[in-house]
Formats: sequence, structure tokens, C-alpha cells
Amino acid sequence: MIMLLTGLLTTAALAGGVLSLAALGEVLAERVGVTDLGVEGLMSIGAATAALAAIASGSPWVGLLAAICVGAAGAAAFAFATVVMRANQVLCGLATTFLGLGLSATIGHSVAGLPLPVTFGPEPVPLLSSIPVIGPAFFGQNLLVFPIYLVLPALLHMLLFHTRHGLNMRAVGENPAAADAVGVPVQAIRFWYTVLGGAFAGAAGAYLSLAVIPSWSEGMVSGRGWIAVALVIFSGYRPFNAAGAGLLFGLISAIGFLGQARGWPIAAPVLNMLPYLGTLAFIILPVVLWKRMRRAMAAPAALGAPYYRSVR
Amino acid sequence: MTRFQRFPTAPARLVLAWRAAALVAAALIVGVLLALSGRDVFVLGELVLRSTVGSRFGLEDLALFMTPLVLTGAAVTVTSRIGLWNIGGEGQFYLGAIGAAGVGLYLPGPQIIVLPLMALAAIACGMAWIVVPTLARAYAGVSEIITTLLLNFVAGLLTYWLATGPWRDRVTGALASSGRISDAIPELWGVVHWGFPLSLAIAAGLAAIMTWTGWGYEVRVSGANPGAARYAGMPMRGRVIAVMLLSGALAALAGMFEVAGTVHRLQGGMADNFGYLGIVVAVLARRSCLAVIPAALLMALILDAGIVLQTQQLAATAVLAITGLVLLLIAIGDELAHYRPVAPASSTRSGAAA
Repeated sequence: MIMLLTGLLTTAALAGGVLSLAALGEVLAERVGVTDLGVEGLMSIGAATAALAAIASGSPWVGLLAAICVGAAGAAAFAFATVVMRANQVLCGLATTFLGLGLSATIGHSVAGLPLPVTFGPEPVPLLSSIPVIGPAFFGQNLLVFPIYLVLPALLHMLLFHTRHGLNMRAVGENPAAADAVGVPVQAIRFWYTVLGGAFAGAAGAYLSLAVIPSWSEGMVSGRGWIAVALVIFSGYRPFNAAGAGLLFGLISAIGFLGQARGWPIAAPVLNMLPYLGTLAFIILPVVLWKRMRRAMAAPAALGAPYYRSVR
Repeated sequence: MTRFQRFPTAPARLVLAWRAAALVAAALIVGVLLALSGRDVFVLGELVLRSTVGSRFGLEDLALFMTPLVLTGAAVTVTSRIGLWNIGGEGQFYLGAIGAAGVGLYLPGPQIIVLPLMALAAIACGMAWIVVPTLARAYAGVSEIITTLLLNFVAGLLTYWLATGPWRDRVTGALASSGRISDAIPELWGVVHWGFPLSLAIAAGLAAIMTWTGWGYEVRVSGANPGAARYAGMPMRGRVIAVMLLSGALAALAGMFEVAGTVHRLQGGMADNFGYLGIVVAVLARRSCLAVIPAALLMALILDAGIVLQTQQLAATAVLAITGLVLLLIAIGDELAHYRPVAPASSTRSGAAA
């Protein structure tokens, strides 16, 4: 039983990291009022870039860095269109997804399906990794797992809820006109946090192709970016909740993997539906069941609306 | 000195001008990238023209591409009229294909009866597929964007499972494919089947409904100004549900046409992004059901050009990237069309301040 639990949690922590990273980035963008529906595309191109850069350089860290840069660059294009030019965010998000999916397949088809020579392998942290159940899951794997679930959410939480800058960020997402009136640079904050969110999405893609799978193939992101966007809504736009939700969905995929490994009499495609159906349930049920929670978990008021300084 | 001011409306001629500029810009970017990768752009361009509008095969291909695009584009357009986005066209397309294939595979009978039944089954499946997002939207206010989208992946997996499992081809053993369905939509011109004129007629019919019926009027008002619609006592919730179900049915019909007209099987991955490209078609059509037709033609041209590029050692998905680029630039162009030059501010300031 303990063995089974450890195994499940280990798989969950590994697979859920992708969702957590991407969701954390999306929390940043949505808190400042930008819905970035391009996450799926930014993750794809991050995954492909990471694989290419890791092969070329022989280091997974270079791969991760390259993916972060590409994710940020893609998000900069998106932010240019939506923040600077104030174009429709839904459309530009979809466009970014198409661009990312298309470009990643175009640049990556030379390495498609190849096993990668360098990946983020397990590097157990001494002592901590021998804690039963949680030790192997969070400290016995690659060195990114621990930061994804604890360090990054803590940093983002501090930034958003315990600094003046974070207050400004949230003001930009809730009431940009008021923020503008007191001298907060609305457009700059929106632009740069959307770019930073894209960097997270790129990193999530790199984590997927260098640690989880680890290999690159076309269509490997398979909706994880969209699940991450849904998790942000489910998490009420809070970093710790977002990372936790990623872990929860890692657990749902881990149950699917377990079913395949143990030869449950359910076809693999049906088990693979679990994360999507789970996301759907988790996004609809809370709203239906706990109506009171709606306000506490509500989206930033100005989410999705471009900001126009009123005509003078 | 003139300055540019944003107006709440964008005049059609400005939109067209900016879109033309966006398309030219997209073509230039793609051309430069192709030239940088060592290909002769002019030879490629000539090849694209010859294999699309310049030959009979090309024209037949265009019509085949247009058929599902008109329907998925109309599916997104009808929801956009009421201010919603159905991003689940891909999934509803699959469900339509499943419904049609199920009837086609397991219901023997004369074609004249089976074909309409296939269409009905497809429509029922497509509506069933959008029912959960619809009710969540109408009664709990859950964003339909994510819910419709998530079901696309489920539908893709369901199709794959059926095509590799219970419905797999036991005769020829084709990979990830059901057996051949004998009932086919009759052909009209070469490989172009009757689904093509039918889809155009459906788009025209929808345009008529939206423009001339009370129902269409209420849908348009509900989308343009929900507050006013509620104040006027229009049944918003009922309209939202009806429009979403209609949208699911349209996308599903595209799946049925594809199964019964072109592919004649249920295949894993057969939706081939038609559902997602429907969103692009709807954006190009700017909420007009009639404009869906030229928009679908443009999208079909891009897809056809993509096939030519594929023969030039470019990945099949390069066309998806090109579509994304076009969509991004058009979204920017549509926003820029809201700006018009106005007279110097100094003389009008006192009047405008009131």
C-alpha cells in the first residue's frame, strides 16, 4: 500500500509539474488582467526548443534556458498584440497557440521521437529523500520538482500578496483606470508579466520534454496548456492553489498510467480521457456546489479587457 | 496637427483595408522565411496558384476543403453573435463523424433513408457533446471557452478508441480506421459531393434566419447588449442554450459530410483541425453568416497552399503556423480599424469634455 502510494505520488509530482509551472505563469498574466490562451502553443515551442538546445549543447540546463527565452519571446509577440496594440485577447491567444504548435513541429521534426541524450534525471536530496512517501516524490526526483511546488509558489505568493508591487499588479488586473490614476504603469506591468508568464510556459514545455517524457514528438503537449489555463480558474488565481491543482491533476494522470501498467480492462485512450474530464468536473462543480465561494475565487475584474486611457 | 482617436465602431472599408494589409504582411513574412530557408519564392508562388485556382484538381480540392470549413465557421459565428465562443468545434466534428459512422456501419438500408439518418445521428451526437458546457454557461456562468475546448481532447480520444477498438476495420486492417461505409453522399462535380452546395445553402439560410426572424433579432440583441436584452424581457438563457446547441449541430454536420462525402470511414485524427480553423473562419467573417463563405474560401486557399508547401519538404503543421500568423495580424488590424484621424484637439476640447 505504501509502495503503491509512493509510486502514485512520485508519478503525480513528476507529471503534475508541467501543469503547475504553466499554471503559475498564467496566474501572473491573469492577475494583471491578460488572458493568455497561447499557453498551449508556448509550451509546445518551449518543449521543441528545449529538446533541440539540449541535444546541441549537451546540457539540460541550456535546454531549459533556451525554452524560457523562447517562451518569453512568444509571449512578447502576444503581449505586443494584446497589450500594446490592444487586439482581442481570445483571438491572439488562439493565434499564438496555432503559431506555437505549427512552429514547434516545423523546427522539431528532425529530433521527433528520438530519445534525448541529456535529460533531468533523478538526483535525490540527501536525508529529505528518505522521508516516507513524500520524500521520494518531491526530493528523490529531478532537481526541478521541489522548486516547482514550494519555492516558486512561495515567491509568487510573496510577490502578489505581500509587496507593494504585488498590490499594484493586482490593482492593474482589478481596476486599471484607478491604478493608472495613482501613477501605476498599467501597460508596462501588463506587458512584462505576460512575458514572464510566457517564460513559465516555455519552462513547462522544457520540463515536459526533458524530464517527464523525456523526448520530443509532435503533439506531445496534447492539451496540457489548456488544462493549465483551466486550473488557474479552479485555483482562484492563487499561486499555491495553482501548484496544488497541478499536483492533483498529476495524480489523475498517474492513476491512468497505473491502470495501463497494471492492465486494467479499460482501453488506454479511455484512461487518457481522465485528466480532461477531471478538469471539466473541477471547473464546473465548485461553481455549482458552493455559490458563496464565487466571490472569493472570482477572476480579476478587468481580466480580458484591454485598457484604454479615456480620451482627453 | 491631426491625431488618431479610437472610435467604438470600425467602418467596414477600414477593416477591409487593414485586413488586406495584414494578409500582405503575413505573405511577406512567410515569403521572407521561405527565401531565407533557400527556396525560390516565385516558383513556389506559381506552383501554389497552379495547384489551387489554376487547375480543375485544385478547384475540386478547394471545394472539398471549403465544405467542412463553412460549417465549422458557421458554428463559431452563430455563438459569436450572442457573445460566446464555441472552441469545441473540433470535438463536435468528431462526434458528428462518430454518429454518422455508427449509423452507416451498423444500419443497413437504402441510401435515401440511411443518409438522412446519418445526418440526424450526427446532429444529435454533436448537440449532446455541447450540452454540458451549454448548461454550465447558461445556469452557472462557467466560461464556455475552456469547457468546450477540453471536450475536444476527449472526443479525439473517443474517436481513436472506436477506430482502433470496437469499430476497427476487420477487412483490410487499415490503421486507426473503421471499416468502409458504403453509403456516400453522391458526387456532383469530380470528387466534389453534394455536401458542398448544401453547406453553402446552410450558411445562407442561417444568414437569413439571423437577419429576418424575430429569433435572430433576439440573438443579435442579446449578444450586442445583454443588459438591454434582459430589460426588454428577452429569454436570454433560452437563446444561449438554443444557439450553443445549434452550433454543436453545425460542427457535427461537418463531421458527417466528411465521413459520408470524403473519407468514407471513421478515422483517428480525421477532424484535421477543421474545428479550430472554423474559429479563424468566423473571425474573418466578422459575425456574418453569409461572409463565412468567402472566409472559408480564403482558409481553404491557405490549406491548399499548405499542401503544396508539404511537397517542398516542409512539415504539414507549417500551415498551422501560417494560420496563426494570419490570425494574429488580422486581430491587430481589426483593432487598428477602430482608429480614425480627428481634427486638432484644441478647438473641440471644451465641447468634448462635456
